[in-house]
Amino acid sequence: MLQYLIILLDETSTSFCHYENANQERKLMPLDVLKEGVRFGMMENLMIQFVYPDYELPQAYQEVVESIDHSKIKPYGQEDADVLIVNGFQKVKADVPVVLRITKQELFVHQEEIAVMLGDVPRLNVVLTDVEAFAEADFETYKKVLAGLSSEVEKLYVDGKSPQLNLLTDRMMLSQMNNCGAGDTSITLAPNGKFYVCPAFYYENEADSIGDLEHGLGIKNKQLYKLEYAPICRHCDAWQCKRCVWLNCKTTLEVNTPSHEQCVVAHLERNASRELLRSIRQHGTFLPEREEIKEIDYLDPFDKRDTWQ
Amino acid sequence: MNSHELLLLYNSFVHLIMSGLKGLQGEWHEEASKNITFIVTKDCQLACKYCYLVGKNTKERMSWKTAKQAVDYILSCEKDMTEDSVIFDFIGGEPFLEISLIDRICDYLKMRMYELNHHWFNSYRFSFTTNGLNYDSPKVQQFIAKNDHHLSIVITIDGNKLKHNLNRIYKKDGKGSYDDVVKNIPLWLEQFPEFGTKVTISSADIPYIKESVLHLFGLGIHEVNINVVFENVWKEGDDKRFEEQLMQLADAIIDGGFYEDYVCSFYSENIGKPLDLVLENQNWCGAGMMLSIDALGNFYPCTRFAAYSLRSKKPIIIGNVRDGIDKNKLRPFLTLDRTTQSRQECIDCEVASGCAWCQGENYDAADTNTIYQRATAICKMHKARVRANNYYWNKLYRKLELEGMREEFEKSKPKSNDVIC
Ligand code: SF4
Ligand code: SF4
Ligand code: SF4
Repeated sequence: MLQYLIILLDETSTSFCHYENANQERKLMPLDVLKEGVRFGMMENLMIQFVYPDYELPQAYQEVVESIDHSKIKPYGQEDADVLIVNGFQKVKADVPVVLRITKQELFVHQEEIAVMLGDVPRLNVVLTDVEAFAEADFETYKKVLAGLSSEVEKLYVDGKSPQLNLLTDRMMLSQMNNCGAGDTSITLAPNGKFYVCPAFYYENEADSIGDLEHGLGIKNKQLYKLEYAPICRHCDAWQCKRCVWLNCKTTLEVNTPSHEQCVVAHLERNASRELLRSIRQHGTFLPEREEIKEIDYLDPFDKRDTWQ
Repeated sequence: MNSHELLLLYNSFVHLIMSGLKGLQGEWHEEASKNITFIVTKDCQLACKYCYLVGKNTKERMSWKTAKQAVDYILSCEKDMTEDSVIFDFIGGEPFLEISLIDRICDYLKMRMYELNHHWFNSYRFSFTTNGLNYDSPKVQQFIAKNDHHLSIVITIDGNKLKHNLNRIYKKDGKGSYDDVVKNIPLWLEQFPEFGTKVTISSADIPYIKESVLHLFGLGIHEVNINVVFENVWKEGDDKRFEEQLMQLADAIIDGGFYEDYVCSFYSENIGKPLDLVLENQNWCGAGMMLSIDALGNFYPCTRFAAYSLRSKKPIIIGNVRDGIDKNKLRPFLTLDRTTQSRQECIDCEVASGCAWCQGENYDAADTNTIYQRATAICKMHKARVRANNYYWNKLYRKLELEGMREEFEKSKPKSNDVIC
C-alpha cells in the first residue's frame, strides 16, 4: 500500500540514495505544483518527505511545506533537517540520522573514521553508490570491513550505547523484509509535476513517469514492485536489503530481479549482523524477542533456486 | 596435407566414430539439451504473411569471424553449460541460403569439441527449420550426407496448396511457394522419415485446417505439429470457427483410422486441466536456457528477443561474442515461473494445462519493459482447442472400447510434441 510521497523540491535536490543527481542548475518546483503535490498527499493519506537542494527555500515554499506533517531530507550543513545527507566521505557530527553516500573504495579506506562517527550521530546509513561494480575481490574486502565495523559496534554496546549502522544493526532489529518500497509503498513527485517510481527513475529518464498530478497515478504492472512478485527476493531473509528496484532495472532489466552483486553485498551484511548479534549476546541479554539469525550456506539466493518449490 | 584435406580426413574420422557409436550408448538426451541458435541470415526467399520477423533484410549475414568467435566462446563455457547434450540450431530468414557458412561452422564445432574433449562431442545435433526450397540443392545434400545421424531437419509446409499459398509467398513476385516445396517432400521423407512438419495457424488459415492436416498426412508426413500464433491477431468468432475445424478434423482422423499411424499435435491428453499452484508452476518456454547469436555477435535469450523479431520493444541483448554473457541479464529468465507472470484468471483457470505462451511475445506485448506479463491473446483459441480435444479423446476411446482395441492402442499410440514456437 502506498504510504509515502517523496517530493523533490528542486532540480538540484540532493540524492539520498544509490543514484546520482548531476543537475547543477537550480530550478525550483513551481509553487502551484508543490501545493498540488501536498494536496495529493493529504487526500491519499501519504506521509510526505521533502528533498531539499543546498540553498534556502523562499518563504512561500516554506509555508506550503509547513502546512502538512512531513519530514525534511537536507544536504549536510543545513538547519532543521530530519535526515542529513553527506555526499562523499567526510567526518560529520549531528543529532539527526545521517546518510553517508560513498563508494565502496571510500568505505574501505575510511572504515576507522566511520567507526568513530558512530558515536557522533544517532544513526548512520551508509549508502554505497557503486554496488553494481563490486567484483569478487571487493566482496572479500567488504566482508573484512564489516567485521571490523562490527567489533566497534559491539564495543559501543558494551559501553551501554545503542549505535545504529544500517549495514549491521538493521538486520538484528528486523523480523521481516524492510526494503526501499519504491513503486509499492512510496512514489516520487518531480519538479515537473509528474510521478516517478523513485527519484532515480526521474533523473535517468524523464519520460519514465508513472502518472501526473492532473491525471493521477497509473503504475503499469505495479504488482512487480511487490515482494511477492520478486522471485528471488521472496525467498530471501536479508531483510535489511534495500532491494533497489532501480538497480534491478539497470543490471537485470527487470524491476523485480536483483543483480548478483546486490544480493551478495546484502548477504555479507546479513551474515555480519548474525555474528554481531551473537557477540553482543555473549555480554548479556540483548533483543530477547528476536530469534538468532540462521546460518546459511549461500550469498546469493539465486544459487539456491533449485530448492524453491 | 593442406587444411582442407585435413578437415576432410577429420570428417570421415568423426563420421566413423559417430556411426560406430550410434545406437550403442544412447548418448542423446533431448530433455537435457542446451539449445544454441545461430541466426545466420535475416534474408529469406519468402515473405510469409504471419512471419513474426518484422526486421528481415538481405544485409545482415553472419560472418565467419563472428561465427568462429561464438563457437570459441561457447565451447569455453563448459562449466556453465552443463547440459548433457546440445542442439545447434541454424535459423534465418532461411538458413539454407547460408549453407556454405553453416557447413564451415559445423566442421569447426566438431573439430573443436573433439580437440577440447568437450562433453558434447558425442552428443550434439544440428537442427534446421527450413522453407524447403533448396533442400535438393547439391550443397545442402552434401551437408546432409556428411552430418548424417546428427541432423534434425523440419520442412515447413502449411497444408494443402490453397492454405500454403495463402501465406507462404515469394518475396519477389508474391507467388505461392507450394509446388517448389512439395517437390522436395519425398526426398526429405526418405532421409528423415521420423520427423514431422510444423504448421502455424493465423486467423485467415482457420477454414483450411482440416483439409491441410489431412493433406499432409496424404503426403506421407506422419507427424503434424501445429500451433496458433501468439500474437493478438484473432477476430470475433475465430474461436468458434477454429473449434468447428478441429471437431471436423477429429471426426476425419477417427473415422478414417488415421490415429493408428499419424499424429496431429492439436489433440493431446495432457491439455485442458487446472494446474497446481506449486507443483506445476514452471515457465512454459525455454528462453534464457537457450542462447541465440546474431550476425553482429550479440547474444539473446532466444531469437524472439532480437531486434528483427520485435514490433514495439528494444532487443534484450545479454552479451556478445567478445565480452561473453552478462549473467545478471539471465537472472529474470532463469527465475521466471508461471504464476508470477500470470493474471489471476490464468492462475484460477480450469483448463490451463497446455495453454502456451512465448516469452518474447509476452515482452513485446507487455505494458512495460518486462518479461513478467503474460500475453493471453490465445485464450479463447486455447479454450476452443480444449473443447475439441475433449471431444476427440471421448470419441476415440469410445470407438476403441467398442472395438475392444483400447488397451492395445494405449500401448502403442504414436506420440506428438507440443510445439510452442
Ligand atoms: S529504488 Fe529505492 S533504493 Fe533504489 S535508488 Fe530508488 S529510492 Fe534508492
Ligand atoms: S539480498 Fe537479493 S534476494 Fe535478498 S532482498 Fe536483497 S536483492 Fe532481494
Ligand atoms: S490464457 Fe485463457 S485459457 Fe490460457 S490459462 Fe489464461 S485463462 Fe486459461
